[in-house]
Amino acid sequence: MDAQLLVSGIIFGLSIGSIFFLLAIGLSLCFGLMRIISLDQLLYYSVGAYITYTVHVVTGNTWLGVLAGMVAAGLVSFGVERFVFFRIYERDIAFTMITSFGILFAGIGAIKYIWGLVPRPVPVPIDTQFGIQGTGIPVYRLIVIGLSLLVYLGIWLFLNRTITGKAIRAGIEDVEHVEGLGVNVYKLFTVTFIIAGVLSGLAGGLHASLIMVDPQMGLEVLAFVFMVVIIGGLGSIKGTLASAFIVGQVVSLGSLVYAPLAQMAPFAVMLVILLIKPTGLYGSKLLKR
Amino acid sequence: MMKIFRWWGGLVVAFLLIGISRLFLPLPFLNEIIIFSIYTMGCSFLLGRVGFISFGQPAYLAVGAYGTAFYLFYFGANPYVGILMGVLSGVVVSVIVGAFFVRLRSDYFALVNLALAVIIFYLMEKVLAKITHGDNGLWFLANMSSTPVLDLGKPSHFFIFALLLALALWAFYKYLDDSIYGACCMATKINEDKLQFLGYSNFHIRWMAFVIANTTTALAGSLYAVYLGFVSPAITHPARAADPVVVTILGGVGTLYGPIVGSIAYTGMKDLLSGYIANWELFIGLLLIFIMLAGEKGIWGTLEPILKKTLFPKSASFRQQESGDRRG
Repeated sequence: MDAQLLVSGIIFGLSIGSIFFLLAIGLSLCFGLMRIISLDQLLYYSVGAYITYTVHVVTGNTWLGVLAGMVAAGLVSFGVERFVFFRIYERDIAFTMITSFGILFAGIGAIKYIWGLVPRPVPVPIDTQFGIQGTGIPVYRLIVIGLSLLVYLGIWLFLNRTITGKAIRAGIEDVEHVEGLGVNVYKLFTVTFIIAGVLSGLAGGLHASLIMVDPQMGLEVLAFVFMVVIIGGLGSIKGTLASAFIVGQVVSLGSLVYAPLAQMAPFAVMLVILLIKPTGLYGSKLLKR
Repeated sequence: MMKIFRWWGGLVVAFLLIGISRLFLPLPFLNEIIIFSIYTMGCSFLLGRVGFISFGQPAYLAVGAYGTAFYLFYFGANPYVGILMGVLSGVVVSVIVGAFFVRLRSDYFALVNLALAVIIFYLMEKVLAKITHGDNGLWFLANMSSTPVLDLGKPSHFFIFALLLALALWAFYKYLDDSIYGACCMATKINEDKLQFLGYSNFHIRWMAFVIANTTTALAGSLYAVYLGFVSPAITHPARAADPVVVTILGGVGTLYGPIVGSIAYTGMKDLLSGYIANWELFIGLLLIFIMLAGEKGIWGTLEPILKKTLFPKSASFRQQESGDRRG
């Protein structure tokens, strides 16, 4: 394999990994704090992408679209949290998983209703490239990677430096104790859910320029995002970042070696990791509520 | 005598109703319903009786379908033997895979199954493309020889065969519910520590349940193969992974007739709604949320007590399936 392919492969893998990370972090936080498996994050991802597309068509500015996508995804996730999840936090995991799948399914139907079935293109906002040893590297992909690292930093600061973040972290360890200290955990749940939704919207908005926006896009990344969460260990932010980049590289470099590997290899990696270490790379022992 | 009559009564009436509806409903629709309800039965058993939710049922469907397809395409011509081969490959795969998978917790279990479905999909589409002919699929409708009594090549004969097979299968599952093993399955779901204390092995009970459920799914796969006369990787496409789970919930988790009712509702809705509007997912999704929030009993789970009360007002026997499923 020559160096040019390798460099562009690694950049591609990192940018895909960044998108996976932004999506997976929401799932991971939701699982850690609320013990729910929120498949509907994929809906906020699609909403983010579609709003990006719409705002781009209206104003011609993709960045504005990404911003609007984040806001819209946050609003939708707030609504869903109020009307559905608020009632079912106490139920077991399989229950929330099925319910959230229902939300995802209904959302895909709604998207098909509003925007139609045709895939929509969103142009890349910055299409300049610069060369490293003759390999063209798109600046936009580097921005995506940088943004995801910034989000990681922001989440880390939020969880470690603010009182709300500390309460969330404590809640991941033991919700009942936090409640006993007089913290309104349901408010924490809402905040976490909205953060997750906004980040999924950001992922959708950023990914929109790299792929075609179509109604099934949520289902297409569903399996990969889950894999990232599982490999990293449910509820661990650091693990999610590491596994997102691992999965991104496996997808990207795997496809350079042998094309069908792109889709299969990550699943094989996940199977092996789960069978060896059932809690994922950084997963602590799983607490049952 | 009365006991036997009562035991078989419900089953015979249910399948008689499907048989009679042959007079006024199109045949492909009914065949689809029967195969789909067999497909869902496996998932329903796993979810309702053992408490495992699986998003990877298409994997086992494909195992059965390809087991049948390979036999009919490369080796033989008898569709009955083909179905047998499909079931056998289902048993082999689920015995091997189950030994690893049933150790995992319910949510991880759902995802490793999904992973398996994706792996099998790409295996069949790309990696083994020389044998499976990739996306074109294997066509073997012309290869199948006609058999004397029930000619499976003809849809009308296939319908009778599938109906009888489904009746036998439902009787088997009803028998399982009544047996000690069925009670053990419920116990691993509700309180595994206590079951272990009583001297049963949770692992073995789950493993056996996994094999039973996924062999049923493989059977549905081989029926699809024989009925359609071709198999392509689309059968295990990850986007369809949640279908059986949705139908199980729709019909009513853990109820005996839930899979049939769910399949009728789901297939019917898909056929009717998709004729008028493209976004039938919206309705299925909203219905799913509604069912989950309204107490997750599903269509049959809600209907059953009402039916029993109106049909047999004095009989006290409707507690039996009532106790079928309570979670959370």
